Amino acid sequence: MVEMNLNRRQFLKLSGATAATLAVVELGFNEKKAYAKSKEFKIAKATVTPTICCYCGVGCGILVHTKNNTVVYTEGDPDNPINEGKLCSKGTTLRQLYTSEKRLTKPLYRAPGSSKWEVKDWDWMLDTIAKRTKDTRDSSFVDVENGITVNKTERIASLGGAALDNEETYLLAKLMRGLGVTYLEHQARI
Amino acid sequence: MTNHWNDLQHTDCALIIGANPAENHPISFRWLTKAKENGGKIVSVDPRYTRTSAQADVYAPLRSGTDIPFIGGMINYALENNLIHKEYVANYTNAAFIVKEGFDFNDGLFSGYDEDTRTYDKTKWAIETTEDGKPVKDATLTHPRSVFQLMKKHYSRYDIKTVTAVTGTPKEDYLKVCETFCATGKVGKAGTILYAMGTTQHTVGSQNVRIYAMLQLLLGNIGLPGGGINAMRGESNVQGSTDFGLLFDNLTGYLGAPKATVPEHATLKGFLEKETPVTGYWSNKPKFVVSLLKAWYGKNATKDNEFGYQFLPKGNKNYSHINLFNAMYKGELDGTFLFGTNPVVGGPNAGKEKEALGKLKWLVAIDLWETETSAFWQKEAGSNPAEINTEVFLLPASASFEKEGSVSNSSRWMQYRWKAIDSRGEARPDLDVIHELALKLKKLYTGSTKSADKPFLALDWNYGSGDEPDIDLVCKEINGYDLKTGKLIAGFGALLDDGTTSSGNWIYSGFYPEEGKNFAKRRDNKDTGNANYLNWSFAWPANRRILYNRASADPSGRPWSKEKEVIHWDAAQKLWVGNDVPDFKPIVSPTEPGGANPFIMNKDGVSLLFAPTLNDGPFPEHYEPFESPVPNAFSNQQLNPAVVIIEGDFNKKGTKKNFPIVATTYRVSEHWQSGSMTRNQEWLSELAGHMFVELSEELAKEKGIKNKDKIIISSARGKIKAYAMVTKRFKPYNVNGKKVHQIGMPWHFGFKGFATGDTANRLTPHIGDANTMIPEYKAFLCDIRRAD
Amino acid sequence: MTKYVKYVDVTKCDGCRACMVACKNWNDLPAEPTEFLGSVQSHVKTTADTWNVLQYIEHENGKGDLEYLFRHSSCFHCTDAACEKVCPENAISYTKYGSVVIDQDKCVGCGYCVQNCPFEVISLKEYKDKNGKEYRKAHKCTMCTDRIDEGLQPACVTTCHTGAMEFGNREVMIQKAEKRVKEIQGRYPNAMVYNPEGVGGTHTVYVLAEKPSVYGLPENPKVPTSAVAWKDYAQPIGKMMLGATTMALVGAFVTNKLFNKEGKGLDENGGGSDE
Repeated sequence: MVEMNLNRRQFLKLSGATAATLAVVELGFNEKKAYAKSKEFKIAKATVTPTICCYCGVGCGILVHTKNNTVVYTEGDPDNPINEGKLCSKGTTLRQLYTSEKRLTKPLYRAPGSSKWEVKDWDWMLDTIAKRTKDTRDSSFVDVENGITVNKTERIASLGGAALDNEETYLLAKLMRGLGVTYLEHQARI
Repeated sequence: MTNHWNDLQHTDCALIIGANPAENHPISFRWLTKAKENGGKIVSVDPRYTRTSAQADVYAPLRSGTDIPFIGGMINYALENNLIHKEYVANYTNAAFIVKEGFDFNDGLFSGYDEDTRTYDKTKWAIETTEDGKPVKDATLTHPRSVFQLMKKHYSRYDIKTVTAVTGTPKEDYLKVCETFCATGKVGKAGTILYAMGTTQHTVGSQNVRIYAMLQLLLGNIGLPGGGINAMRGESNVQGSTDFGLLFDNLTGYLGAPKATVPEHATLKGFLEKETPVTGYWSNKPKFVVSLLKAWYGKNATKDNEFGYQFLPKGNKNYSHINLFNAMYKGELDGTFLFGTNPVVGGPNAGKEKEALGKLKWLVAIDLWETETSAFWQKEAGSNPAEINTEVFLLPASASFEKEGSVSNSSRWMQYRWKAIDSRGEARPDLDVIHELALKLKKLYTGSTKSADKPFLALDWNYGSGDEPDIDLVCKEINGYDLKTGKLIAGFGALLDDGTTSSGNWIYSGFYPEEGKNFAKRRDNKDTGNANYLNWSFAWPANRRILYNRASADPSGRPWSKEKEVIHWDAAQKLWVGNDVPDFKPIVSPTEPGGANPFIMNKDGVSLLFAPTLNDGPFPEHYEPFESPVPNAFSNQQLNPAVVIIEGDFNKKGTKKNFPIVATTYRVSEHWQSGSMTRNQEWLSELAGHMFVELSEELAKEKGIKNKDKIIISSARGKIKAYAMVTKRFKPYNVNGKKVHQIGMPWHFGFKGFATGDTANRLTPHIGDANTMIPEYKAFLCDIRRAD
Repeated sequence: MTKYVKYVDVTKCDGCRACMVACKNWNDLPAEPTEFLGSVQSHVKTTADTWNVLQYIEHENGKGDLEYLFRHSSCFHCTDAACEKVCPENAISYTKYGSVVIDQDKCVGCGYCVQNCPFEVISLKEYKDKNGKEYRKAHKCTMCTDRIDEGLQPACVTTCHTGAMEFGNREVMIQKAEKRVKEIQGRYPNAMVYNPEGVGGTHTVYVLAEKPSVYGLPENPKVPTSAVAWKDYAQPIGKMMLGATTMALVGAFVTNKLFNKEGKGLDENGGGSDE
């Protein structure tokens, strides 16, 4: 608890809050270490970082406990007034987004007609994607239509973004419209 | 949401329709439970008895696709029993407006319909105006062409007998809903309507929402604590991504994208003239548009080049999801980017969407996982890889807590997420990927003098010199600057249309008003009054927590009631004050012109009971879904006459003869959307590991199906296998004396991850709402049988 | 020392199952994929790796109305715990908070606790040591005693958003439960506090919407008298005379033959299944 409070103070400082109330989870007694424990308290010496749940639109606060380069626990952020430390099953499980063995950890490429992925490096991937984008844009670009300047390509689509951060959606919309993309959609439609 | 999550505790009655928040937005029930403890009632209206229903005081079933009869009947009930908030209706809605002569409604069709184009001429629904353009009104609401009387007449057809015969709701349950919710029409009471995709994913989806809003306006429930009309968003930032213009038809902040099909849009001047109303807050639109152009094109946006307006693409059609996949299916697209989206599971008629992907030359997917979509070419997907020539680039993305940035929840609260840990493996934040791709493209185009390349070269892209973009610069660009001083702008009120200000998204302007003050990062959780938490994060617009809160006070500026006070006019200070940021010009007194008009975004300052702007009519009217087992009892128009129908192989239609059972889709608590995030986690997969279909005991008996049997569900589009979950929570409906069965199933499953199963969307149709083109996932026809 | 109670008001539960994953998350328990059970319920009952299970029950009440009932089921932490009484190794003990915990170092995996728990919440898990030798350990909810030690509430309670679960002083929680029952009797005429006396009361106290049997709970659970006899008389004497291994065999005999509950013996693989 001491450790948590310390951490909490750290991130409160980070976020500039002054009047936050703490520790709705505290029981109010201080007798500690009454029982010998074979292992260290799970979240002792962990770093705590506040985040917002990545699932539904409620926007619950979550504390991510990290230690030894992994996520050891995730729980509700008691300071967030929306959820006051409470979470549903998905929010509670945020930890496994990090630890799941199914996470993609390298860029993968699938060549035309191939039945498998190949591991590639980021540079090659982004260089190639940029080339494909340019080729398609250049070969399909329409600057004028019925006398009106239209500056668009209708052969590239961009889909998705409802799970991105605002800053990301902003740059994505700016880049795509900047390229002239008209097929620009995301999950609000579906 | 007009209101916010914490505010739900203040409601006297929550009508939950087209949503199942106990299962899909569980934390909402923290506040709904508090509302119950405060004496509030919960009403659940759903085809199936859900966990929300289990928490409700009143439950009423309705057949999928019959929201308009259900609510239309409530409007009729409220009018007939004199339960509406008359003063609110007379002053704050267009009930008193006189509709021009010639407006008509006959057998399901409003005036101005063109059968060939399936469109309406909306000028036939105009409001009568005086010479100076002001609406003609009848304050007594008795004029036969007043909106009030036309509305009354329209919904008089929605009597309880007809309504319940269409919805299949037992009459006593229906009456209980009417009584319980319409009681909030009293001054001092407020009711809220909570909805989600069960409302919108219909061919009448927009009108479903409209009719909820109408009922709320009649009961005087908008602008009040515990009131409002509240769309519960399904993704953490679907609010933000919509605000930031990731739909084809909107630039940021709901500024409509220019169109090649509107001649006036040829120039900025013409565009602004055409799209800017003379009155109402939208009269400021030019300031927002020009400031956006300055944010995007920087120094390349000058007065002489229309601030770069011509650099923006102008489309000539509807580019929404269904049309996009139809175009892809026809080979009209070469390349597609997917940012954390999985249409092979989540798209309608998903089998066709999967086929369409194979027509692409290249596909880029950025995701945390290998999804069914990025793996569409694999054998597991039922594809023959050798025959698919699509190049696929799959980029590993960081999880939300492996990067920093903000998300906007349903309440419009923009909350910051800090980085907790370095990304797994080589995963990178989408922000970095978008940034680096932009830089690489910029490099490829550098030096080009082609006119086609000018728009992209003119795009201002300066986010620091490091390998990674400086997110703080992105935040500031969104907020905007006073370009004369280089300082951050205080809010959208300071934006100008002369090129001296910039703002990447005007509705967010003000979240970063000074150096070092990104309000999305605020964590002061002291209750500033009525649980509005004004110092926690930032709510757009202008940190306002309850929209239209001017309507919480009467025309003279006094709160309608002490219980439901938000703001009031303080004559001594000559200011609107209260526990929220006023949704009103704070210095405009109630007696000044417009001082009693709370709906400032509308040109006449009032809300619209009669909305001559929608594609399918100024009043919501019932039409049956694209696929329905019964004829429309209200008119001879079976289907919404304004929906666009795509025919042929891409979208096969089923008949009630072959597919007599109504089906709907939904979600479970443990999985999220297409399941890629949750089916790839073991603990959630353990809890909900199997694709199932819920059906009533009666239907199970008819079909010889036992609980836990494997069954086949088929529609005109495809068939899938799933476990039968026989339940008492589905009951057959009595629709006009005829037994109609409905089943339901989750749409989360696919062939990747720990929890796998067949994809429900292989069954759903490619048909969309008449206004938004949102697919009709929530009501379609199918048949079921035991798997051999 | 203050005794604590996990208060569970099933009428406020909306079945989100955050309690189930919070438990796995805190206690680092692995997932165990299960068969489809014909409802949204994931596991038949608690297991060695799943210490609480949310029950989903479709119940037609006396009036013929459908009630959709939920219950967070896990260890009751009995005041008079049969598991503690039958454990030949004294591996099971009461903490000062009132929780009942298993000392994994002492547990020999004999399964008497599994057999004798009136609520069937303890299960055995098989392990292999580094030489490939199999051994077993009994597992159940610990009431997050490690968290209580640090001033935190149990993980399941901490995450529960509707207030269906609370944690606090035993007397306060029991009073709360009694008050709550009065509030909800209009809707649930059979509502009751479930804090059975036959086991001396419990440290997981329920407000139930229906009779215990609707939830598959015993109406009057008791510590079997023979278990009392075993713990208090036979075991100390026997152990002194025969040593632990032999005692385990005798124990198995006693468990099976002497105070066999509901006619069921320890099943062959010693697992915690009630099927």
